[in-house]
Amino acid sequence: MEQSHIANVDEKRDFEVNSSNLKHVRSFCREVFERLNINQELKDELVLAIAEAAQNIVKHAYNNEQTEDKMEIKISVSDGHLEIGFFDKGRPVEKDKIRHRKIDDIKPGGLGTFFIQQIMDAVVFKEGEKPWINHLILSKNLNN
Amino acid sequence: MTYKVTEEGNISTVHLDGEIDMDVTEKAKEVIMPLIEAKKEVHLNLKEVQYMDSSGISVLIESHQKAMELGTKVTLKEISKSVLKVIMMAKLEQILNLD
Repeated sequence: MEQSHIANVDEKRDFEVNSSNLKHVRSFCREVFERLNINQELKDELVLAIAEAAQNIVKHAYNNEQTEDKMEIKISVSDGHLEIGFFDKGRPVEKDKIRHRKIDDIKPGGLGTFFIQQIMDAVVFKEGEKPWINHLILSKNLNN
Repeated sequence: MTYKVTEEGNISTVHLDGEIDMDVTEKAKEVIMPLIEAKKEVHLNLKEVQYMDSSGISVLIESHQKAMELGTKVTLKEISKSVLKVIMMAKLEQILNLD
């Protein structure tokens, strides 16, 4: 198997679940992606996908309510395969209800999930192992 | 996010600066919506906006729709490359007024 020219990475960080921490989520992602040999456009797209997923936790798992709970974001790259894990203790995700709005239905809202799906190769919701309730995994092959 | 508003005749230009995410959308709406409600033509200058997510895009859609409803117009000016990319990803380049 050909070796990837992209460095292996394994980083995780906790963030308090609130909208004012989304900028810190982006800073963390930018720091990590700075170490990867991928183009700036792709880095920006990945930051957007991660920030949208984090925003969904604030909005949907916690209804944008005040909490002291933290979410954990884990970014791993191995042989050019990127996997981003999101762990939270909010309301369990109802997988059947997750869908982005139809893109030709022009109205505010519902675009975050569409962006995530556009950018990433795969989006998987899993039941979190204790103490987590939700575990979302976004993945993408960076070798393409 | 910071902003500055300039006026020229019936045109109000809102210069937005920084990163526009869920945390600042209410602030952005508080600046933009009253101008639209006053039936001003609104120019949103996005030259200094380095990042916009789906929440920011929602503000653009909401502003555009409110302006249409009230018979005025919102035009996006000097759109930064990163914002343009998100607008295009949302397939809104034919819907919003881009200049």
